[in-house]
Amino acid sequence: MVRLKDRYLLVHIIYTDVPAGQAKDSVPDLLLYNQPTTGELKPQHLLKGIRSEVASLFGDCGSGAIDRSLQVKYLSPATSTFILRVSRDHHRLAWAALSFMDRVPVRNGRPCVFRVVRVSGTIRKVEEEAIRRAKLLVLSAKQEMSGKSSDALGALLRGKDQGRSLTTAADQDDDSEMEDVDASRD
Amino acid sequence: MDRRKSFPAGKAPDAKRKEPPPAANNSKNQAHDTRPNSHALKRVKFNDARNIRSQPPDAALEDGRLDLQKFLSAREYEIKALETSMRKCKASNATRVFQQVPRAMRRRTASHNVKRVPKRLRERAKREQIGDNTPTVEARKRRPRTTRARIRAETAKKLDILAARKRKRRLEKPAVGGAMVKGKEGDAKPTVQSRAPRPKIRRNTLNEPPKIKSKFRKRQLNKTWLPTHLWHAKRATMAEPSKPIWRFAIPITSTEKCYRPTHRASGQKGAVAWDMSYMSTIGLYGSSLGVERVLRALGLTQEGLWAARGQKWRGGSRKWSGLLSKDRKESRRIIGPATIIWNPEPAAETAQELGDPKRSQRELLIRTHPSCFLELFNELLKLVKMQSPQLHIEDLRFEIGSIELTGPGSTEALLGILKPYDDKPGAEYQADIFESLAGVTNPASLPKDAFLAFSARDPRLAYPPKQVNVPDRTTDPALLETLTKWPVEKNLAPFGLFSRDTRHRASQLPSQKSINRRKGSSLPGKEVLVTAADPPIPVILLASRSSTAVQAQGTWTLMAPWKCILPIWYSLMHYPLSTGGNPRLGGLDEQRQIAFEQNVPWFPGDFPGTDAGLSWELDQQIKRKRDWDRRPKGKRVEWKSLDLGAGRKGEIGDGLACDFEHLFGLPKNNISGLNNTQNPAISDDPNAMELDHLDKPQGAQASEDSPNPMAVIKQMTKASFGALVASPTNEKAPNSSIVTVTLTFTGRGVASPCARIYRLPPQKSPMPVLPSTQAEVPATEPPPSTIFGLPPSDLREQWLGKLPAKSTSSLGGKGRQAKKQTSAPPRMPPGADLKTRKRLLAASLLTAEPQFPKSSTNQTDVGRHPLCPGEEELIGFVTAGAFSLSEGKGTAIGSLSAEKVLETVRETGAREGHLCVVRNAGETVGWLARWEVV
Repeated sequence: MVRLKDRYLLVHIIYTDVPAGQAKDSVPDLLLYNQPTTGELKPQHLLKGIRSEVASLFGDCGSGAIDRSLQVKYLSPATSTFILRVSRDHHRLAWAALSFMDRVPVRNGRPCVFRVVRVSGTIRKVEEEAIRRAKLLVLSAKQEMSGKSSDALGALLRGKDQGRSLTTAADQDDDSEMEDVDASRD
Repeated sequence: MDRRKSFPAGKAPDAKRKEPPPAANNSKNQAHDTRPNSHALKRVKFNDARNIRSQPPDAALEDGRLDLQKFLSAREYEIKALETSMRKCKASNATRVFQQVPRAMRRRTASHNVKRVPKRLRERAKREQIGDNTPTVEARKRRPRTTRARIRAETAKKLDILAARKRKRRLEKPAVGGAMVKGKEGDAKPTVQSRAPRPKIRRNTLNEPPKIKSKFRKRQLNKTWLPTHLWHAKRATMAEPSKPIWRFAIPITSTEKCYRPTHRASGQKGAVAWDMSYMSTIGLYGSSLGVERVLRALGLTQEGLWAARGQKWRGGSRKWSGLLSKDRKESRRIIGPATIIWNPEPAAETAQELGDPKRSQRELLIRTHPSCFLELFNELLKLVKMQSPQLHIEDLRFEIGSIELTGPGSTEALLGILKPYDDKPGAEYQADIFESLAGVTNPASLPKDAFLAFSARDPRLAYPPKQVNVPDRTTDPALLETLTKWPVEKNLAPFGLFSRDTRHRASQLPSQKSINRRKGSSLPGKEVLVTAADPPIPVILLASRSSTAVQAQGTWTLMAPWKCILPIWYSLMHYPLSTGGNPRLGGLDEQRQIAFEQNVPWFPGDFPGTDAGLSWELDQQIKRKRDWDRRPKGKRVEWKSLDLGAGRKGEIGDGLACDFEHLFGLPKNNISGLNNTQNPAISDDPNAMELDHLDKPQGAQASEDSPNPMAVIKQMTKASFGALVASPTNEKAPNSSIVTVTLTFTGRGVASPCARIYRLPPQKSPMPVLPSTQAEVPATEPPPSTIFGLPPSDLREQWLGKLPAKSTSSLGGKGRQAKKQTSAPPRMPPGADLKTRKRLLAASLLTAEPQFPKSSTNQTDVGRHPLCPGEEELIGFVTAGAFSLSEGKGTAIGSLSAEKVLETVRETGAREGHLCVVRNAGETVGWLARWEVV
């Protein structure tokens, strides 16, 4: 039997400027990077943005390859996190498109960075990673509240341990092979 | 069918029968109605489970401004949402109920029949089956499809009516007849108490199998069932009904996958149990002098046994295990392994008759393998009749059954099910010793040849067995003292198992019904007390060490009356081990597997030099031949076209047999019709076949005992072979005798049964070999070192070069260098400068054989691997071989020609003489191994 093989990408939207009407100095770094996304961003906008980016980068062939399976599994504007499903063969196209996108794909979208933090064959592992990262952020937010200045960039970029920083997402592409495919839900 | 009608009206008779999901089966309309509904429900459920909740951005903002507290709560919400999603998704996963059952309990039928899943899951299973419209059939309503089935159904119906009529009559009869009897002579005549008939055991004749229930009699015409047959038949592959093994229906292997679990249970954690009731027991009775003469004639000639050292054995506190043999025309022939136990003399008489060994009457049990039972029995009969005053023997085959246990949990399991008959300590000394063994994890840690005999309670009284408290007593001084001193001589009394009356009493165990009644009347949680109605069960527990290795697990053998095996077995199989799980059941295959893993030859399979082993081997040949025949032509080994290299074609001897006939040049045995076609070495043309046939009668004359020419092959023991090796005079080994050896591969390689074993080819005087610089002769001509049909002259060096580096250093690097020169040009060293590179390139161009055209395959080597030695170097065959889980590499057990091996060892010394090449039948590549006599 032929299975449709998919990959799930966990993406964070990272902002570098403060929203209008707030002084930049008063905001801790942690909050600055992890701002909520506008409520106007709906899954279909996101998909449209990725598709157009893929089309401009890879042409009709690329956008056709991606078209079938691209789907937003989870979009949380409050935490600026979303989970994207792409077919396994072409997930790198979507990833590349995300890397090239520099604005939230809505009208007058704010400048931002789409950061893929985890690629996996099952949604479960992606969810586990999201939970782990959220817990890290909670910890550093608590540190911030208690007065100590937390390492905002560290909390943002930290992978499994201190040693793994920016290479995290690239590495994790490989270990998705051994995920338990049964647990995927598609 | 009768049973259904006999149900009381109130009880639902359908409780045992399959209930199909009503919606899916009974009414189609209903099914059509429900299905869309259930599907829609399911879809909603899945969608719900997949949906991960999320918050709008305002949740993370305080009045449109970034705020730490809000940030925190947004993350917490996300964590919670993701966790719920994962949980819900797992719960709604598409697994069906029967998949939740442990693997061992899973049944394929469970996906169709809700009755096959555990009760707690039945409701869900029913719902699932309705949900996806599983086709279910109710056996009761199924229409018979075939004529045979129709006739069966009709007969069943008729029988049903007949049985109902009979039952009715029986109900009427006692009501009438009973009244009459009572009225006439009810109190006039005292009722006669009759005892159950004791089974007859006649002296010096074979015992008859136990009387079988008529229901099962037809199935046991040419075999006997083990006491636990019904239990095993449901859980194990049994011996084929038409082809019983040793006239018993023996479990071959568990129906579950069990190779690795058995390995674990036998060595690391758990226990494996076998019903070994098929082992035969012979009782030997008579004066001690006569007994000694008989046993000496059976090969128990070690002086230690009959002198002071054997005092414990003869006194009945140690057993003896070993190989028995019989006299055959100036040589001894091994019968098979046996265990001998003496019954201690009663205390009062020993004082009187201590000085008179002639008068004292002794009793012995000889426990042996069923495959050599008849041979031993006949031999014993002959010996016993020669003595005066005469001794006598009894065949106790169906009187005494046995269970074997191995593994770290075996002692614990035995302690859990066998309780001493008398509760108070001191009643039976050996029972107290047994009770004190808690904490022993290896029966081999007991003294050598130790055993215990006591009487145990009916294990059903304490059923289900409870876990015994196992203290970690490896360093307990009391236990250590017991194990070292083994004080069983105290209060030594005759064993119950020797007494026919005790055995008979033990077989009159109260019925399960009465035990249930007693259990029901006693308070919950209270043990049922032993009453006079419960006879003691006489047991003997033998602890044996299987191999010479210190760490290897030993085996417990529990001997008990035949009829008591079943209740003991039930308890044993339900004993909850402290390490988890229950004892595993084992079959014949597991027995062989464990023996193989402990590097111990298994009787009869690894003793082809005995009559029992020979008949086993012949059976195996027939089986292999049948399997081979069944394969399509393209997928089976064509023995004739096997290319052994150096121009040798065809398998040596019969590829499907451990062809000792070929090895010893005996005439072929064609009874089984095995060797007609696949024996090119001998019977290439029809004329040769004719001659073979003509030769046969002469060969048959050579051995009077058996028509098989292989019967002249004799098994040699380790001791006699060791004596031959050590003897200063170059004494020859007896003709066509074999020794059993274990083989360990030095490097790679796994042997399978029937693999050929070669010794290393002898050192040859260098032949006129051309220097290797002229090796680039055209490929059509044979390479210089090979003469057609002969392997290369430096084959020995090539093989010695295959030894792992550690041992080659002492054997001499010469062989290695030689190999290097012949096989491959030296590789370019890393970082060599241009000059050296050029030189090496030139050298390689000059010396190396051209890559293309390739010389014909297998001329000097098999893919850079040395060729197999020639046929004249064949020394034996592998009888059991596989990848050994305990060694982590291939090992094997085989039999070698003693004559050839002796020659080799004397010529080349112990070190190189113990090297051999093992090649699987039908393969061209051999592997280097080392053999060791066992």
